[in-house]
Amino acid sequence: MSEGSKVSTGGSKKRYAMVVDTRRCIGCMACQVACKAEYDTPLGVNRTWVPYKVVGKYPNVKKQFLPRLCNHCEDPPCVRNCPVEATFVVEDGGFVLQRYERCIGCRSCMAACPYNARFMLPSHRTYTPITNVVDKCTFCFHRVTQNLVPACVQTCIGRSRVFGDLNDPNSEVSYLVAKNATQVLRPEQGTKPHVFYIGADRNTTEIGRDAYRKPEVMELERSAFKRNFKI
Amino acid sequence: MGDYVWFHDVSWHASYAVYFFVIGILAGLSFISYGSWRTPALRPLREKTAYASFVLLGLGGLLLIADLSQPLRFLNILNPAYLNFTSPLAWGALNIVAFGIASVIYIRTLRKGDEQNGKLLALITALLALGLPIYTGFDLAVHQSRPVWNTPIMPVLFVAMAIASGSAVGALLAAGNAEAQKVLREYMLWSAGAVAVMLVSIMGTTNYGGAAEELTFALMTSGTMGLIFVGVGFLAGSVAPAVLLFAPIGRSQGVVMVSALLILVGSAALRYVLLMAPQQVQTLF
Repeated sequence: MSEGSKVSTGGSKKRYAMVVDTRRCIGCMACQVACKAEYDTPLGVNRTWVPYKVVGKYPNVKKQFLPRLCNHCEDPPCVRNCPVEATFVVEDGGFVLQRYERCIGCRSCMAACPYNARFMLPSHRTYTPITNVVDKCTFCFHRVTQNLVPACVQTCIGRSRVFGDLNDPNSEVSYLVAKNATQVLRPEQGTKPHVFYIGADRNTTEIGRDAYRKPEVMELERSAFKRNFKI
Repeated sequence: MGDYVWFHDVSWHASYAVYFFVIGILAGLSFISYGSWRTPALRPLREKTAYASFVLLGLGGLLLIADLSQPLRFLNILNPAYLNFTSPLAWGALNIVAFGIASVIYIRTLRKGDEQNGKLLALITALLALGLPIYTGFDLAVHQSRPVWNTPIMPVLFVAMAIASGSAVGALLAAGNAEAQKVLREYMLWSAGAVAVMLVSIMGTTNYGGAAEELTFALMTSGTMGLIFVGVGFLAGSVAPAVLLFAPIGRSQGVVMVSALLILVGSAALRYVLLMAPQQVQTLF
């Protein structure tokens, strides 16, 4: 990935952001699949994922989806914490990217990220030689610099995910952020995230209710969840 | 409940806690080696603690490198073109290297019997050793989203644990030497007491924090983690040795040795829980 790739064509810099309209998300997980296909993301790890909670009272129940990805923060703790500057912010566009050849795998960035957006790539992959380093969502930097939208946005059939330049007053994301009540995840962390949610329920943006179970019960479910990812 | 929860992995595993333990002991031993220049009672420990500290540095360094998923790239962290000074890990790497160099020069001076430069080098080595628990504390404290870690007291707690565990190893090395153990008893008593007070303070603020803090508090005080933290780390490893050493029987060598063992087991348990527990709740977000 070239760090020198030009994002803006004019004078002013761009600031890309994503708006996720959770009212439109149907939980088809196509974004997750598109992302996996785009990057050959291995089993057990994801650049984007879609957890859900069942909310309401029977018979009026629904699944509340919350698509998740790297928030490409304005003040990213992962960049601050990396000892070798393996992760950095692209000034023009605001992408938070990773230098795979420099990453030492200390996982400091993973510990620093309040959103769990980072993960360690396994030591064996079928097609891609990048292994044993930390990886994350790139906002599809390689696609955006070619005037394409990220793979997850491209594939979203409900148009729940919208991507664009926040600095452009005529962009759809600017319009959506200006006209709708939006929220970001964990604003108290001071990271200034650039993934905005419309209609996100407080119930889904906080720490999972599973956390309130006994650690022993939690561990049983965790091991069941991880059982199929031992590769 | 019909929820789909993605279980994330913890970032740092237990091997990092072992590294914290080793680095704490070696820092404490360096303090004793310097202390031997000021307190004659510790003189028999001067060489022993300097050598042990250096050996533990090698062990700690290997543990740290082996914990990287790209171990051969550990040199990147010493590359001036790559260093990111906003990361405590970068400062820590420089501190470890500087401590290693100072230790080698100090040991050479000890072997030559150069008393004049020895004291100065012992001071430099001890000051660099002080940086090791401070950096490990900061390493955790800078993560603003983690309960327990993100407290300004964390580097101070790691320094106190380093003094406690280093003095404990010193007391074991000084077996049979009543004079040295008398001094080390004081070190252990006050550092174990300080650790206990800081733990109460940290747990108090954690329990009165937000949802993540309260959940972490519950995790650290119940089940297996609770047994390790409260039972082994706090009660057996901090409060019990402080009480034993403070009591009139605390001056006997047997009690000093038992307290030293308790402190060592306790500080290993504390480092394990302080590292692992605050990562658990985050894995569910």
